[in-house]
Amino acid sequence: MANRAQIRTNNSALISMIADEDTIVGLLMAGVGNVDLRRKTNYLIVDSKTTVKQVEDAFKEFTTREDIAIVLISQYVANMIRFLVDSYNKPVPAILEIPSKDHPYDPTQDSVLSRVKYLFSSESVASGRR
Amino acid sequence: MEEQEEATGVEIDERRVVGDEDVLRFMDSADGYLTLLDSLSSTLRQGWLDLAIARHSMGASRINGAILDHKLHSAATSVQVDQEDVDSLEGQPRFILHKWASVGDGKQCYEEQEWKEDKLLGKSGSLQLRHRGDSQLYEEKPFENGAELDVDDQVQKERAKSLSMFGTLVSPKLRAAQLSFETALEMLVEIANMRSAMLSSFDKVHKELDHQKG
Repeated sequence: MANRAQIRTNNSALISMIADEDTIVGLLMAGVGNVDLRRKTNYLIVDSKTTVKQVEDAFKEFTTREDIAIVLISQYVANMIRFLVDSYNKPVPAILEIPSKDHPYDPTQDSVLSRVKYLFSSESVASGRR
Repeated sequence: MEEQEEATGVEIDERRVVGDEDVLRFMDSADGYLTLLDSLSSTLRQGWLDLAIARHSMGASRINGAILDHKLHSAATSVQVDQEDVDSLEGQPRFILHKWASVGDGKQCYEEQEWKEDKLLGKSGSLQLRHRGDSQLYEEKPFENGAELDVDDQVQKERAKSLSMFGTLVSPKLRAAQLSFETALEMLVEIANMRSAMLSSFDKVHKELDHQKG
């Protein structure tokens, strides 16, 4: 029991977003937008003026907030902070890389698939059993 | 001696069966993950297209990031996080989407409606009722038309409230975009669950491999 990984359960958690304007506007129309008492939002619109530092800070904030269950990040934005995204390994919040209008989803860049692709390499389960 | 060898052989076979199950689970979840992402891409593309058409008809000044509501408000759509397989040593999160489930007074009305529906159903579980727009769910309860309509009204009100930041009269394409993004949200939650299943089975297979090498 001491080694059991505890999942942070929550009955009403938020979905946060770090993405382009159209994706954010669309998802806000679906009702996921949240603004708290300090006027802090659960999203960051990334455009040509957004700096890497701003993206980094938003990612760090969203992944440490207790009220966020899922972080959606456009894959091209995730590439700006790839080291940070790849080094994240907690079960909650779940980080999901999503496509954007101008940048289709590329599975070879996905952080989760990169982590598990080892099983598809020459050191697979099958070869381990020979 | 022979009995010991036989016992050891059985243990190896059992471990191999367990390992095979984990590998299959991993492959299934990886395949599901990629398939869902492909579907998500299509759904988002439809949403972006509808949004672009709405922007064209309503004007770019009415549909952009600058008009987003920065006043205090709670999310109407949220996610419940549970732990799946409570008895397992490794916790695996399970995500459940609650669409249009709560906003101020609306929450009270919705929860009261939910209680009424539960009473009609004679059930204590209410999770299914929060997934609106599910045609299969709607078909399963044909005798609750009154309660269903009230809940649908509430959901429509929430949808309209969400679109109110774009003005009183909005393009039908904007409403279509809203539905596309709602569908995308449902897919995203499924992807989150598939992701956690994939990582969980990957960890088990990885441990099995390490054990074999050790």
